[in-house]
Amino acid sequence: MGQQIKFALLQSTHRVVVVLVRFLPGLLAFLLAVAVLALIGFLLAALIRRLLTATRFDERIKANEKISSPVNFSDWAPSHSPTLLISRVILWVCILAGVAIGISAFDASYSADTQVSLFALPYLTHLLGAILILFAGNLLARFLARSVLIGAVNAQLQYARFLSFGVKWLVLVLTAAMALDHLQIGGTVVELAFGILFGGIVLTLSLAIGLGSRDLVSRSIEKSIEKPLAVRPTEDSPATEVRETPGPKLRHF
Amino acid sequence: MSSSPIADISNASPLETAPAVRSTDSSRATLLICLPSLGIDGLQTMQDRIGAALPGQSVVLASPDVLPDNESSTEHLRLVGYPAGPPHASWTLVASDFLTAADLAREHNASALMLLGAEADSLSSAGLQALATCILNQRVDLALPRYKTGPHDALVSSALLYPLTNALFGVGTHLPLPLDAALSLRMAERLAAAARRLGNGAQSTPLVWPAAEASVSSFVVREIEVGERTLPHPGDADLNSLLAEVAGSLFTDIEAKAPFWQRSRSSISAVQASEPVLLGSETEELAEVRAMAESFRSAYLNLQEIWSLVLPPQSLLALKKLSLAPPESFLMPPDLWARVVYDFVLAYHLRTINRGHLLGALTPLYLAWVTSHLRRSAGDAALSSRHVEETASAFSTEKPYVVARWRWPDRFNP
Repeated sequence: MGQQIKFALLQSTHRVVVVLVRFLPGLLAFLLAVAVLALIGFLLAALIRRLLTATRFDERIKANEKISSPVNFSDWAPSHSPTLLISRVILWVCILAGVAIGISAFDASYSADTQVSLFALPYLTHLLGAILILFAGNLLARFLARSVLIGAVNAQLQYARFLSFGVKWLVLVLTAAMALDHLQIGGTVVELAFGILFGGIVLTLSLAIGLGSRDLVSRSIEKSIEKPLAVRPTEDSPATEVRETPGPKLRHF
Repeated sequence: MSSSPIADISNASPLETAPAVRSTDSSRATLLICLPSLGIDGLQTMQDRIGAALPGQSVVLASPDVLPDNESSTEHLRLVGYPAGPPHASWTLVASDFLTAADLAREHNASALMLLGAEADSLSSAGLQALATCILNQRVDLALPRYKTGPHDALVSSALLYPLTNALFGVGTHLPLPLDAALSLRMAERLAAAARRLGNGAQSTPLVWPAAEASVSSFVVREIEVGERTLPHPGDADLNSLLAEVAGSLFTDIEAKAPFWQRSRSSISAVQASEPVLLGSETEELAEVRAMAESFRSAYLNLQEIWSLVLPPQSLLALKKLSLAPPESFLMPPDLWARVVYDFVLAYHLRTINRGHLLGALTPLYLAWVTSHLRRSAGDAALSSRHVEETASAFSTEKPYVVARWRWPDRFNP
């Protein structure tokens, strides 16, 4: 009995050691690939940074940017330097390439009959894609929410915050659905839930805007019926004149 | 700390006292006058008016309405077209206007220039003569006109452009974004170089700030009262986009010239704040103030999250109090407005938030200043002018605040 237990333990230990021996070269290959590509990326990034600094790339980009534009290249760059952005993108592309090569090497170190790599490795790339989708969606949601909020406040809409909130959640729900779909989680349940949520938010926003603007629309229709030949604001009184209520004529410029 | 020279700026009112341009030296010099497109009748009117205003003066009149085949010449006046097509037709003078004018001045050996903007045919002969006299006879590099405007005109200039230019560059011109300007040749070259730096060639529309350029170069600047003029409409663009464009351009210029304005010290003459006028119960101003105060209240509730990224706590507290104030006592103190603008300039420099968002978030605060202006001026030109001067004085007084925060931005409460 004791002999059998000892044999079973030795056998299992042997199997684990064999697996580790097979696993370690793959792991080392993975680490080596990442380290080498990171080093290449670091050198390339340094070279590109020197080159762009010498050609005054940042100044050229800034000179070509339109100030009033809501989206500028510099706004997305770390420390608002396009040179830094490009060099970091190159570095990270190299590191990601290293990770991809490492995973491939890791995959190759397993024997063909191993089921782990067939399932786990493609899923790892999907997971990475889903994280990127979530990150980009979150950034876009924040940017759009702020743009809508400022635009609505300046248009003197009473429901500016609500509108901004709605736009933010529209983008976030869309992002979450895309990420889950990318991960192949939930299947039709996610699609159905997304459709219901998205439709619900759009309907809520439409109702809110419609009900909130009821007075505005009725006043506008009354005005157009009473004064069909009245001068349109764009003709003689441009938008730079505040002209909502009867009062003094304001000239901003 | 060393102090840099501030441009020699003085305000003159030569409409009544200006002598006709008849100095023999100045009549030999050629004055180039660049006109916008006015149509054939408008051009003829301007030709007659300039002839009457500048008798005996050698003038080259450039107009986009003159075709190369129709260029004509009399004893003192030559009519020429633009060689590289008409300049960009904008409501104010833009970079391409200064570039084209400098090229024409070189081509025609002009010693001085006058750039007249849209609707220049509404300028009087006396006004034209005053500008020409100043630039030809008084060794001035930049003469900027001041028009007779109503209490509710050119509000962006009164709230933002004039106070900032006055405080930071020591140039007290009331319209720093000029519709018309008279320049010496060296000033024209300087502005052309600035326009070239902004790039994009002759079809571009970036704004150039002549008063700031003159101040940095220690050139002589003078403001000339030229009487009434029709102020051109900036087209169909709305207030938000125009304010963002103009304020963004000025903030960029301030950022580029930071080493200059941090060193220079302008004299501060504090203007005593006057008591606000009680508006009658049925005045147009009160109705407008009520509506605008309500808009500000709504803006405060919605935008305080964004403002809190830019403004220090004491400014936010003051804005909160302002949002709670009844329309009858709605008044943004000039020093609060000055600090708010300086904080926005700093946030623009540091890119605390997206610049488009930042400039969009400034609009409700500007409209709060306009509301206070309506309340303070009560439709009276003298009271309006006093409020504008109080604002400009507050910007000068608060200048150390922006200098300190520019150098040490992390100290939120210097």
